[in-house]
Amino acid sequence: MDIIKTKDLVFEDFIRYPDIYIKKGKVVFLVGSSGSGKSTLLKLFNATLSPSSGAIFYEGKNIDEIDTLKLRQEVLLVGQSVYLFDGSIKDNFNRFYSYREMNMPNEEEIKYFLSICQLDFPLETQTSILSGGEAQRLYTAIFLSFLPKVIMLDEPTSALDTQNAKSLLRDIIKLAKTKEMTVIVVSHDKNLSDEFAEDIIDIEGSKTI
Amino acid sequence: MTNAGIVQLSIFQFSLIYLLLIVVLAIMKKANVNQTKLLIVASVRMTVQLTLAGFVLTYIFENPSPLFTSLYLLTMTLFAIHRALSKNKWLNKSFKWAVALSLAGSGLIILAFFVIVVVRVDFFNPQYTIPLSGMIMGNAMTGVNLGLKSFKDNFSSQRKRVETLLNLGVKPKKILLPFSQNALETALLPTLNNMVGMGIISLPGMMTGQILSGTAPTTAILYQIAIMIAIATVVCLATFSTLNLGIRTLYNDRNQIEFLHEN
Repeated sequence: MDIIKTKDLVFEDFIRYPDIYIKKGKVVFLVGSSGSGKSTLLKLFNATLSPSSGAIFYEGKNIDEIDTLKLRQEVLLVGQSVYLFDGSIKDNFNRFYSYREMNMPNEEEIKYFLSICQLDFPLETQTSILSGGEAQRLYTAIFLSFLPKVIMLDEPTSALDTQNAKSLLRDIIKLAKTKEMTVIVVSHDKNLSDEFAEDIIDIEGSKTI
Repeated sequence: MTNAGIVQLSIFQFSLIYLLLIVVLAIMKKANVNQTKLLIVASVRMTVQLTLAGFVLTYIFENPSPLFTSLYLLTMTLFAIHRALSKNKWLNKSFKWAVALSLAGSGLIILAFFVIVVVRVDFFNPQYTIPLSGMIMGNAMTGVNLGLKSFKDNFSSQRKRVETLLNLGVKPKKILLPFSQNALETALLPTLNNMVGMGIISLPGMMTGQILSGTAPTTAILYQIAIMIAIATVVCLATFSTLNLGIRTLYNDRNQIEFLHEN
């Protein structure tokens, strides 16, 4: 079953996407040269941007008819704009969960999500001392802990070497499989798509009109 | 040559004050501050504008009429709105309306309370309404400007935070609220700090003016305290209303913040 599909999708009259079908529970890589509209496509999927024409269907329903906040919580985009609050790792979980009006996970659970993202820090660690790559992984861990139905990762390994990138994706995918989570990855790294992709969608075909 | 306790300045006496500008010019030259032109333009403009205002006010005071007072109020309000809008070009059309309505609404409410409830004179009495509205509108405008600038700066420097929270499915209003709270605080602080130092660091302008013209200092302080409270209130009210009405214009019913992609 397709969890997300698109029809005649056009953004701002200059990116025309091929029709896209994303199967539930799969690990799907979006590839295409830079500027082909991969990040934009993810923002269209979570309705932070609207297409100029065409339609996107989530679980068979046109997303125009879905409450956008609920959609974003289920189709969660881990974007490239990494942002962490000042304070400790635990404070960050606390802040993000209070924004979502949810109880934060307990320490064991937080440590579990950190370990998936290859982080082994005490929860009291201040985020200001984290390196760019560590901050990015903590950011991913926080998003992942919300256990969405679809997780969209935009260049999740941009600040990592190949070895770490592979471990990170392997563990994320392992979690996704147990939770029946669909994973959509935008990555330039061919090593990763070769190893992990169950489906590759090339949007290079999308035309600049 | 005294009249109600104040020395009337003859044109000759008055022009002596311009001699002080020579000091400013000399220092500017010496210190290589290349603002000679601005100094001259500013002095000339101030002189011409105030002279005109003097003539207009003299006419209005000699021929008091609700029509003239209202026209003066209207002009001043439109000017305050124009200044606030021209300093914040990033505002969308609805946000501009929010600024205009907030400035005009808050200014008029506070002015009316001051003139009708506190001083208890006719609202169209130009002697009270015109100078008080100038102080109230001017300060409201400065407050709103400061608030908008702080909101914009904060938002621009924290785009990643806004994007992150949007992606998490948080309501735009909840995302923007901290920015507007912060902006309100920034707008209010100068007025509050001003109140803290008042009477010790400086004698405020209005009180100085009243004392110079022969008013008893005890009466002058009552007016000064009253106007400061009125100013603090109008800054708070106008800025709060601007930001609250304004941030609603920054997102649509799809919970998208269009502003994020524009500025």
